[in-house]
Amino acid sequence: MKLSRRELAGALIAGTALPAPAQNPPAAAAVQDAADALRRNSEALARFELPQSTEPAFQFRA
Amino acid sequence: MTDDVFFAGISELNAQLKKREFSAVELVRAFAERLEKTGPRYNALALPLAEVALRRAKLVDEELKRERYRGPLQGIPFGAKDLLSFAGHPTTWGAKPYASQIFDETATVLKKLDKTGSVLIGKLAMVELAGGPYYRTASASLFGPGLNPWDRTRWSGGSSSGSASAVAAGLVPFALGSETSGSIVTPSAYCGITGLRPTYGLVSRHGAMPLSWTMDKIGPMCRSAEDCGLVLQTIAGSDAADAGSAGKSFYYTPQFARKLSDIKVGFAAADPDAAEPAARLAFEQAMGVVRESGVQMVEAKLPDFPYGALTGTVISAEGSSVFEELIASGGVNELEDAYQIEGLKAGLGIPARDYLKAMRIRSLVKQKFRELFADIDVLVAPARYGVATRIAEPLGGGGAVAGNAGDMRSLIPAGNLAGLPALAFPCGFADNLPVGLQLVGPAFSENTLLALGRDFQNRTDWHKRRPPAA
Repeated sequence: MKLSRRELAGALIAGTALPAPAQNPPAAAAVQDAADALRRNSEALARFELPQSTEPAFQFRA
Repeated sequence: MTDDVFFAGISELNAQLKKREFSAVELVRAFAERLEKTGPRYNALALPLAEVALRRAKLVDEELKRERYRGPLQGIPFGAKDLLSFAGHPTTWGAKPYASQIFDETATVLKKLDKTGSVLIGKLAMVELAGGPYYRTASASLFGPGLNPWDRTRWSGGSSSGSASAVAAGLVPFALGSETSGSIVTPSAYCGITGLRPTYGLVSRHGAMPLSWTMDKIGPMCRSAEDCGLVLQTIAGSDAADAGSAGKSFYYTPQFARKLSDIKVGFAAADPDAAEPAARLAFEQAMGVVRESGVQMVEAKLPDFPYGALTGTVISAEGSSVFEELIASGGVNELEDAYQIEGLKAGLGIPARDYLKAMRIRSLVKQKFRELFADIDVLVAPARYGVATRIAEPLGGGGAVAGNAGDMRSLIPAGNLAGLPALAFPCGFADNLPVGLQLVGPAFSENTLLALGRDFQNRTDWHKRRPPAA
């Protein structure tokens, strides 16, 4: 296993072994996950009914 | 100088400086050495600034010698989340593609603190690009996973990870953090410290990394509500350089606090049961302490909105636009977290229809909260419904609570969407880890939140507990 200088320093300072942090998924899974999240958000927003006169919650000041 | 100094409050330290019990140089050196030595144990330190800090501290000592007093923050060391620019020094935003980034200008909040004689001793680690709704691993940072001083196998919370763990471990008396949706409240709860998310626009973000222009806030992370009030008073105020500035100041006025018996506090009766089993007793007892303060407790329910979809859409759309160049250049692929990388890329494809719909619904969220706060002064709820996540486990979606029902579990995204202030503070322990409550009030109600937090902390000592190794 290759350790960067920062990782090595961290390990020495830490003194005790820590569990490995959660790992990244395969790239394809992350791509799918991102697409699914946006789709779910989009569907939830589409289901929400609001009065036609409702303006967005941001202001532009000239 | 004893170890007690590292856990003292701001007013106490300032009084000791004035009495010449130690000099600003001695205080700054002690904290800077501790931060540099122990900060890496929690992956909390982004950049040590001892040399610059000691030069500044010497000037403070000269002022103190001449009895030129600038207020309670004079001579007090602090740390700042590494999304705030400090001229001439690296500001990494916690992300590898920006590891060597240096700005010419210093963030407004750091300039304001400098004017009061407060001394920046280090930049503190953070989740890369302050996370947003994408990241899923505690290691989503240039500095490695933020480790919790109460148990280093647990996450310190994000995205203000280093700010929270540094305060909890007594490495700085206070720190600055930022919140888009949960990044002050969550790490404050997980690390057992007191954090204040100010009303949107109250504190200038000039010189801070943007993630979401309509949701970003900068706030203090401290040992107590009292300290949060003192820091907020210094960093708040109008700034023409921040397009979101509300043009308002904040004066911390505990002497004019409303009588607690006049304050109506809304709560959800189901909240303790919604928490992780180990944390329920702590929350029940903490709600009892709030009740005993004499406030009027009334049942309340959050307005019903798709909060998770709203925060996800707004932060994704704005964040991907902020980092469009990073995405186009391929630099985004250097980030640590695969979900973060793909989330940022996907966010560029959010249709205008969805973003505008989210922002239109957000208008209704603000309106409904105005109506809610016509009858209630403050909402109280668990800050997080459980203890800090294990670093070996995936995070539950960017550290923000996503919910669709109108219950208090959605209070973090709801409060952020409406731009409301929140105070998170420790209220007990579960599995030897801290848990906290949050108070949320109408815009610019920070003094009321602080009065309630102060009362809670006058009657409990959770905020004075120290992590085992600290």
